[in-house]
Amino acid sequence: MNNREVFSVLGIFDSAQSLMRAIPEVKSGAAAKLEAYTPYPVHGLDEALGLRKSPIAGMVLVMAVIGSIAALGLEFWTSGVDYPQVTAGKPYFSWEAFVPIMFELTVLFAAFTAGLGMLLLLNRLPFFRHPMLAARSMPLITRDKFALAVEAGGKTIDVEEISALLRDSGAASVEVVESPPVHGLASPRFFFRVLIAIAIACCVAGYATYWAMKLFPKAIPMVHMLDQPRLGPQQGNTFFTDGSGMRMPVEGTVSRISIPYTVDEQEDPSAMGNPLPRTAPVLGRGRQLFNDYCSVCHGILGNGETTLTAAYEAKPTNLLSKNIAALTDGSMYHVIMKGKNSMPSYSADLSQDERWAVLHYVRVLQRALDAKDEDVSSAQKE
Amino acid sequence: MTGRERRAGMILVLGCIVGLAGIALTFFVSGMQRFWINWIIWFLFLLTAGLGCLFIVALEHVVGARWSTPLRRIPERLSGLTILMVPVALVALFSLPVLYPWARPEVLRDPMVAGKAVWLNIPFFSLRVVACLVLWALSYWIFVSRSIRQDRHGDPGYTVRVRRFAPLFMAIFGITLTVVAFDWISSLDPLWYSDIFGVYLFAGTFLAGLAVTTLAVLYLRKRGRLQEIKPDHLYNLGGFLFAFIVFWSYIGFAQYLLMWYANIPEEVLWYKERLSGGWGVVLLAMALLHFLVPFFILMARNAKSDPRFLSGAAALVLFSHLLDLYWMIYPALKEKSFFGWQELSFAVLFVSAALLWIRRSMKRGEDMPVGDPMLREGLGFRL
Repeated sequence: MNNREVFSVLGIFDSAQSLMRAIPEVKSGAAAKLEAYTPYPVHGLDEALGLRKSPIAGMVLVMAVIGSIAALGLEFWTSGVDYPQVTAGKPYFSWEAFVPIMFELTVLFAAFTAGLGMLLLLNRLPFFRHPMLAARSMPLITRDKFALAVEAGGKTIDVEEISALLRDSGAASVEVVESPPVHGLASPRFFFRVLIAIAIACCVAGYATYWAMKLFPKAIPMVHMLDQPRLGPQQGNTFFTDGSGMRMPVEGTVSRISIPYTVDEQEDPSAMGNPLPRTAPVLGRGRQLFNDYCSVCHGILGNGETTLTAAYEAKPTNLLSKNIAALTDGSMYHVIMKGKNSMPSYSADLSQDERWAVLHYVRVLQRALDAKDEDVSSAQKE
Repeated sequence: MTGRERRAGMILVLGCIVGLAGIALTFFVSGMQRFWINWIIWFLFLLTAGLGCLFIVALEHVVGARWSTPLRRIPERLSGLTILMVPVALVALFSLPVLYPWARPEVLRDPMVAGKAVWLNIPFFSLRVVACLVLWALSYWIFVSRSIRQDRHGDPGYTVRVRRFAPLFMAIFGITLTVVAFDWISSLDPLWYSDIFGVYLFAGTFLAGLAVTTLAVLYLRKRGRLQEIKPDHLYNLGGFLFAFIVFWSYIGFAQYLLMWYANIPEEVLWYKERLSGGWGVVLLAMALLHFLVPFFILMARNAKSDPRFLSGAAALVLFSHLLDLYWMIYPALKEKSFFGWQELSFAVLFVSAALLWIRRSMKRGEDMPVGDPMLREGLGFRL
């Protein structure tokens, strides 16, 4: 033999039966890996050759499980934790809606593992020049002959001895197949380098685009939604007969956040009780609202002493006075809703809960003027 | 007849007698509703098992399969369950005024139900039931009785003719099974509707047919018959079972998902009833027994041809098909309790009667269709 490496020694058989008969003999005689090439699938060949069960099933199972867990994790994170959004009134974590995606990702991972694992890992593709393609007996094998190959598997094997063994076990002829020289550009390594380069280029391009968009916000990629004809507030429009672009709400429209208030007299609502509990957060909210809206006139302590007095002709009510303290919550609520004397209505500024919170705070201010011992101790307890 | 066989026969006859006594007691003690609901469940269970077998026979003829020819006699014999169900179906017609709301005149005041009265009325319903029974009996005669006759004369003309009829049967099967699903099950709640319901019942039907066929083949092999059936044939049965477990789950979940998403009252109410009051546990059990457990049992390649795994999975699938029917039908009673001696006596009666019937039919013809020209090729089938 010359200096080229031997890939395998082929024994050519005339029939599938003689091939099957020869396999046990060759197997016991040579301690090398066996492979068979036949023009059609021969039943029982796998078992006779003692081929290992393909690991592809296990690989696919593992990747399928990973796929479904990945899908569940992705959906749990995006719609349950990171960006929760109510869709069709369903809970954030709706496993029913997750199942199709889990199914798809399971199938995707499994299919890619089966396909790519078979091609790249098990069959070691890309494999540009399989040594068998150069074998002289290849045309025969694809027609009507059966070949049993004793493969070197990278080691040196005794070609003479194996040839004799194959002939003894019934091979009509024997051929030695050599490993072809590997060309630089056609090697798998070069192929993978190109693939990796493409992958890196994609990552760099994507990352660069991301930062370009972030740093130069003027370059808006798609403006179709922003760039549509529309009417600004108060803008005129000839579509409607009154020439106005803005429309009145449909008659009978009710705001979703305001509750209709039909009481007219201050005495009538006296039965209304404060529905809010007297808790620290409610009182805190009441104090803030009181300071924002009420203290301008009624003073920060509610005693009616403010800086407004000189410029403002009416004298604001002292909320701490006896007759104000004697009013029911409902009556005071009515004043906030409807206004009294020079005081305008605050119904548009304070929501229903905010009004009641303010009233709680006003009661606190009244009580603070004449605080009892138990108030202090209960405050300390809190 | 050996002593063992005679003893088994005695036990089955005894089971029939005990079961009959039990269901008679149910009728008089526990009321008509409970009696008829169990009757419907068992009628549909055995009917779908029989029809599933008939479908397997027809499938072989439609696609020209050869691997299944040596096995074909088993589903052919088992499809006789359809004939056993003819009297059961006719008796079940008496359940209409008791169980089915649309059969009661006062319910027809509801305009939604009244609109469906064209389809849902007792004369037309009975006509459909009789028409279905006639079509099935006719198909049974064409497929099975003449196949058994072929054992003797070996005329290949039968094979040619039946392959021409098989596609027509597929259309008959599809329509009649959908009618069964809509009429007997879905119309228990006449306001509820699901377009996919016929397909859902088909998935269960095919699985039930596959499961009884697999169990019968494995049993006969264990008793020393059908020795020519190789693991390769069993592998295909296991593969079918594996595939259609997934199909059933897919259809069942698709039906649920769409209704869950749309959240329309007349659709979700059906599920609401079948998820509350203990029925949710039944559904969970079904997800395990009808899908996950047999799915993982049959997943490995060798398990599909291993008699132990295969029989375990087939038994699970058959049981969970019964559970499926139970879950679909029984909540229509709107009762709290759902299992007692009443249900047990129905199970004893129908299982004993079905086994007696199957025992008898297992003596019809040869174990394999020996007159079929495809038999040799089928016996040589390897994966």
